[in-house]
Amino acid sequence: MLKVHIVKKRRELEVDVSLELEAGQSLGLFGASGAGKSTVLACIAGIEEPDDGFVKLNNVQIFPPSLPLHQRPLGYLTQEPGLFPHLRVGENIRFGIPKELSADAEQSRWIETLRDRLQLGPLWNAPASSISGGQARRVSLARMLARRPPLVLLDEPFAGLDRQLVRELIDDLVFWSQTVGFSMIAVDHQAEVLKRLCPQQAIVLEEGKAVQRGAWCDLYSNPATPLLRSLLAPI
Amino acid sequence: MNPSILHNDRRWWARAGATVFALALLYPLTALFAHIGPWQWSEDVRGPALASVRVSLLLTGCAMVIIMSVGTPIAAYIARCRMTERLVWQAVLLVPILLPPLALGILLTLAFGPYGAVGSYLERFGIVMTNSRAAFVSTQVYVGMGYYVLGAVAAFDAVPGILQKQAALLGLAPWKVFWRVTLPLSRLGLAVALSIAWVRAIGEFGAVVVTAYYPSGMPVQLWVNLQSFGLPAVMPLLVVFLAVALPLPWLVHVLAQRRRHA
Repeated sequence: MLKVHIVKKRRELEVDVSLELEAGQSLGLFGASGAGKSTVLACIAGIEEPDDGFVKLNNVQIFPPSLPLHQRPLGYLTQEPGLFPHLRVGENIRFGIPKELSADAEQSRWIETLRDRLQLGPLWNAPASSISGGQARRVSLARMLARRPPLVLLDEPFAGLDRQLVRELIDDLVFWSQTVGFSMIAVDHQAEVLKRLCPQQAIVLEEGKAVQRGAWCDLYSNPATPLLRSLLAPI
Repeated sequence: MNPSILHNDRRWWARAGATVFALALLYPLTALFAHIGPWQWSEDVRGPALASVRVSLLLTGCAMVIIMSVGTPIAAYIARCRMTERLVWQAVLLVPILLPPLALGILLTLAFGPYGAVGSYLERFGIVMTNSRAAFVSTQVYVGMGYYVLGAVAAFDAVPGILQKQAALLGLAPWKVFWRVTLPLSRLGLAVALSIAWVRAIGEFGAVVVTAYYPSGMPVQLWVNLQSFGLPAVMPLLVVFLAVALPLPWLVHVLAQRRRHA
């Protein structure tokens, strides 16, 4: 179970958000650009340090004191795939697997599952620097999931991708979150993407504060603010 | 007039100008074919000259090992510093770079000689820091360290921070991130930094001639030959000097430029 209270002061914005998430559940953070969604995720991941608050995952205090990045049991995916260009695709995907697990049969099967489901077989030995943007997103997703983290944080990971690929990646993520059992927090400013990815619940952020939380149907039927009404309205 | 012709015309002039500039830069090398009479390579010239080649290659190699082993972690630390602290370290590194070589040599002799605290302490253990191999190596370390560390900081800076954070989030401890991500991605930049330090150290004359006249490296031996025998005795050693000092750094720079534009 994840329990979070993040306070982070920025020049023009003070983010102050609390959230709770049961194991295996998913949560969408929705709002306009600059509402503080990415800041919340970055603070949970440890990329940024909150000014105040706490982060607890499965009764382990991640902050404060700030647990080093490499000890945080989570996966973090952003718009930037961040592949290691000096390694091949397969080496990227296996990058975070500890040596003692690299020969483990179950681990190998899981890697093969990721490879096949994300259609990465033909790219396996290609240099990571030579693949396309869409392929790189698939590789970074596989790399994050290869370690089977209990919590997955997604910061607009599908921005700029074609709709077909986005649908496939979302379906894969939802499928694995149910089969593997990881919790998921996703950020996006497109309601339809977020709703498909995190169908259970969402928190709406405006100017760093949560203005509404609950099921998607409630957000659509009773939007708490005019801005939210406008964001949810069809184009 | 057709604009593309005008464009090509301007391009031609620019290329011609650049060619003249390049020829002017390379012009000093034509002195290798100057008519100064037969080159002198008699035994009294050859012996010390070959000894100086050995001294330069061996001791500059030692200096590079020290520079790399000490300078790389220092550069990695500076690359992670906030701007204010980084400026302080960079200002310190600039001191040996900006000191006139002769002044640096005199300061090193005084600081590490029998009058300096460190020099007198080392002498108790039989380590003499003037006119010795230790003096030669330490002078080269002082001469080259600033160049290497500043270049290495730039090489580490060029590695995208997101990759290092991703590696950490994939469970790698900081030293593993450095070993598996930062170092491989900055190795060409480090090689460029080392090649600059190499050229600077192996070619150093002003500081070395004060701290370590003996054992003589190539620059000092060139000076000795010039003083004792004249230009014909300098030329063979000069060719060797250019052959060992230039090709490797030149190749590293060409490779780095190619990689940058790939």
